[in-house]
Order: sequence, then structure tokens, then C-alpha cells
Amino acid sequence: MTLCRFPTFQVAIRKGLFWRYLEPNHRPGPYVQPDIGNPCMPMHFKANNRYLIRIYYYEKRISLEVFHSLSDGTGALYFLKTMTAVYLRLLGHEIPNGEGVLDITETPKPEELEDAYLRYASSKIGRPRSQGNAYRVRGTKEPFYTLNIICGVIPVDKIRVVSKGYGVTITEYLNAVLLYALLQKQKSERPFHERPVTLAMPVNLRSFFPSETLRNFISMVYPSIDPRMGDYTFEEILQHVHNYMRYYINPKFLNADIVTNASVQQNPFIRIVPLFLKDFTVRRFYTHVQDGQSSAGLTNVGLIKLPKEMGPFVERFDVLMGQPFSARTNCAIVSYQNILTVNFTSSIKETDIERYFFRKLVQDGIPVKIETNRKMEE
Amino acid sequence: MSYCVNCGVELDATAAACPLCNTKVYNPNQPVATEVPTPYPTVKGAVEPVKAKEFTILMTIILLTTAVVCVLLNVFTIQIGRWSLYVVGICAMLWVFFIPLFFPEKTSIYTNLALNGLSIALFLALVSWLHPNNNWYEHIALPIVILGTLLLEIIFIFVFMLKSSMIVKAAVSMAAIAVICVATEMVIDLHLRGYFYLRWSAIVLTCCVVIDIILMTIYLQEGLRAEIRRRMHF
Ligand SMILES: [Zn+2]
Repeated sequence: MTLCRFPTFQVAIRKGLFWRYLEPNHRPGPYVQPDIGNPCMPMHFKANNRYLIRIYYYEKRISLEVFHSLSDGTGALYFLKTMTAVYLRLLGHEIPNGEGVLDITETPKPEELEDAYLRYASSKIGRPRSQGNAYRVRGTKEPFYTLNIICGVIPVDKIRVVSKGYGVTITEYLNAVLLYALLQKQKSERPFHERPVTLAMPVNLRSFFPSETLRNFISMVYPSIDPRMGDYTFEEILQHVHNYMRYYINPKFLNADIVTNASVQQNPFIRIVPLFLKDFTVRRFYTHVQDGQSSAGLTNVGLIKLPKEMGPFVERFDVLMGQPFSARTNCAIVSYQNILTVNFTSSIKETDIERYFFRKLVQDGIPVKIETNRKMEE
Repeated sequence: MSYCVNCGVELDATAAACPLCNTKVYNPNQPVATEVPTPYPTVKGAVEPVKAKEFTILMTIILLTTAVVCVLLNVFTIQIGRWSLYVVGICAMLWVFFIPLFFPEKTSIYTNLALNGLSIALFLALVSWLHPNNNWYEHIALPIVILGTLLLEIIFIFVFMLKSSMIVKAAVSMAAIAVICVATEMVIDLHLRGYFYLRWSAIVLTCCVVIDIILMTIYLQEGLRAEIRRRMHF
């Protein structure tokens, strides 16, 4: 029912000779399934009636998994909100549209379907992609299909007071804590050569370039600390992250990033390379270059708002980043009303980064509640 | 509610240990809850298997048609000898080589290696049956194929199964090269002359032994390893 309003989600992926492309999918489904302990499993393009989203339920929780080329966090959030509103209406509650709940009776607007990258790629130069090699977390790999989740539930007012005290935003504060945790982890390994610790953080471009697209519209920034320049105190890290964000996150720099991304897609030479070669190089690129340039991923979806009629039925939101290619930990943050959740997902056994991260929060006087899907060993 | 005595974080009522540091929860006032649902499901999911394997079907058809066409040609048009049997043998061998690509989840690398060795041995047996000629198959081909397969299995065990260091892997590979060279010269010598005398393989053997001795010394001397790492800037 909801799906018809979101044609960009109702698609299947097809292999062409030169590109994979998305086409509308009218097969039955996707069906709601009972939730599982290891979410974000790899998606086979032909399974699940060729749908690229999965919907799960567990106790009082609804989960939506979206293949990364369909949409980013903002787009997926519209879908999840609308779906939840439709579900509550079926239960007999009065839920109005608005605050991200879309009217499922209206036809989708063309602006929601656009490729906003192309519209805004106006900068004359791109920015180089390379960031240099970053510290990489090593750990014992779990068997394939395992996704370890450690979730920290934090009251928003407490963390806001602490980050205000430092004079930074919540995102900057959590960024700095994660960098701090990674630096501690690298130090504890006593490496021959220390490497810079870098985070890969997506930025929602909708707040800089007005667009209503429900497809992907993000860019990456890489806040980084280089321990070879000396030991950073936590306050110095905070200061650095704070200045980095001020410096890089503005329409001009982001536009140059868009141009870099779009130029790959537009390049006539790359367009004619057969797909199997592309698959191969893209995979190599991800495992060796992209994952090598950052030590961990961090995303903050921000504060979610809902129509106030839905308030009593929704307790909290969680966001998970999918399975990484290498042995790293990814971190996703979202807040709703007074609950902020920090979800670490990884496919390794070790929990050092998570431990350093949450211990730092506790040291700063922020109460944290931990949940996990890990089976702890005796 | 319980807190971890080590990290100071609040834990879920169902947690028996701290997820961050694995410290056990011991709270006399509140035992670990077993009735309430855990925050995450305990059921494990598995990815739906993809049914039609286009590549498997395509390769099987190509190899099968090649074999059949050649047999037909051999029987009806080009009736010189039994040449089509070679083609059939090669097609069967290729199909066995492709097994890991056909069923990537089910097969292990060790059974694949054994199957590949077996298919080569069978193909050579076919050739020797078509050309019965002074027992070269039993004397040379079969021993080398069996030995080669065994050595490859051993190398793969060292590379993938045991978590051995690069040095050990290199040493084992060197040793395997030496063994296969010596064995090759030995079976050829025995077959042609009836006696056995080390010639070219002696050079290979000496090189491999020297390299292996160096590698093992480096491996066993902790200080030396650190020194080399420092000098070579690893
Ligand atoms: Zn603990």
C-alpha cells in the first residue's frame, strides 16, 4: 500500500552490458517477515522476488532494510515513517500526514525521483578523492552473515549539556569521542608505524542544496587526527573536529565533491567499460582504497520528528549501517524525542572501540544503557 | 537495573555479561531476567538461495555440445582414429575445474584440489589407453600427479587453515617445490635408464634448502625478525 507512493523503492536491479540499472518491479511483495538476529544480510538481486528492501518485525519493533543504491537515510526515513503511519491507521488510529509522513493517495512528485547530483554539479573543478591511508582496525572475523550490534541508549538532554559545556554540537562531540576511541585502540596495539585515524562521515546534501529527492543525495567528509604529530588530548581533538566541520561543510566544497562523484558516472570512457570489469574494479576499490582511507564510518541521521499523534506509539528509532567489507566498526546515531541511540555494527569479535567509546561517555557523566545481539562467551 | 562494575554502563535486564568487556553481571537484588524478550531476536536468518545458475547451465551446455558434436563428427565424417575421445576428456576435465565456480558455497578447496588431481589422472589414463606406449603413464604421469596434488593440499592447509606466518608459508612452498623437482627427475630417470642419479634437480634442491634454512633461522630468532622488519621498513 505504501510502496506505490515510493516508486524509487519499488524496483529490481538488472544487469546490462555496461551498467546495472534499476527497473520498476511489479512482482508481489515484499512481504513482512519475522526479524532475525543478524540483520543487513547481503541481498541477492534475484531473491526476495527481486525486491531490494526487506521489512521485519520483532516484538514492538518494525525494521526496514534498504539496499544502499536505492536511497540514503533521509529517503528511507520517509518510507519508514509513512509505513508506520499506515500501519497505525490500519489499527484504527487517526494519523495525519506531514512531518515526513507522505500522503499515500497522491501521485509521487517528479522532484522526489530526480537525480539531484546532476542538477547541482556546477563546480568547475572536483576535489581529489584520495585521503591517504588511514589506520585500519584489525580483529577476528566472525563467520559470514554475522552482524554484531552494540547499541547505546543515551538521554538527549544529558549529552546536549555535556557538548554545550565543550562548546560544540552533539555530532562534533560524538565524532571526537569516536576518534578518541580509535586513537586509544591504535595506541594499545603498539604499531611500528602509527597512521592517521580517519572517520568517513556522510553529509546530507539536502540541507545545502534544496531538493526533495527520495534517492541518494549525500557526500562524504573525512575528519581525521594524525597521531604522528603528537599526542592529542580530548579537548584538542574536539577543537580540531569542530574547526574541520566549519571549514569543509559548506556549499562550495560540497559542490566540488558532487562534481568528483558525477564525473565518474559521466566519463564516456568509464561508460563503455563492460560490467564485469567494472564490478571487479569497484570491489577492489572498496576493499583496498575506500575502506583503507578511513578507520570507521560514522553517520548522524539527526533528530527525527513525527506527527504528534504518532508520539505515544513510537518509543525510539535505531539506525544501523550495513555490513562493511573489511574488519571495521561502523557507527550510526539517531535521536527521537529525548532518546539518542548510538549503534555500532561490525563483523569482528573484538569490542575494544565500543568499550573505549562508551567509557569516555560515562567518564563525561553521560548515562548509557547498552543492548546487544552478541552472544557473550563464558 | 544492573550496571557493569567495570565500564559503568547500564545493562539490559536479560544481559548475563557486559557486552563491552564481558564482565559477568552479579546482582543479588536482581537476577538476570529470562522471561522477558531479549532486545534482539535470537533466530538466525539465512539468505534465500538463488535458483537458476545461468553460468553453470551455460558452461555445461557449451562443454556438452562440444563433446557431442566432436563424437558425431568422429563417427560420421572424419573417421581417422578415435580423436574425439580427447575432446570429450578435455571437456570433462574443464567441467571439473569449473566446479568451484558452479557451486561456490558447497565445495571446500581441499575436495576441489583432490577432484582436479583425479580428473587430470583420469584424462592422462585415457590418453595412455589410446596410446599404449612403454608404460609412461604408470611410471611417470601417475606418480607426479598424485604427488603434486598432495603437495598442493599441504600448501593450502598451511596457507588457509593454520594461522602460520608469511615465513612459514614461504618455507613450506619452497620445500614443496624441491620435493616435486626431485621426484620428477627421479621418476623420469628410473623410467628411461632404470637407475637414479640427481642432476638438475640437485641445484633446485640446494637452493630450496638454503632458502629454507635462512627462513627458519629468521622465524626462530625473535630478535632477528624484529631487526629485519626495522631495516626493511615493514
Ligand atoms: Zn563492562
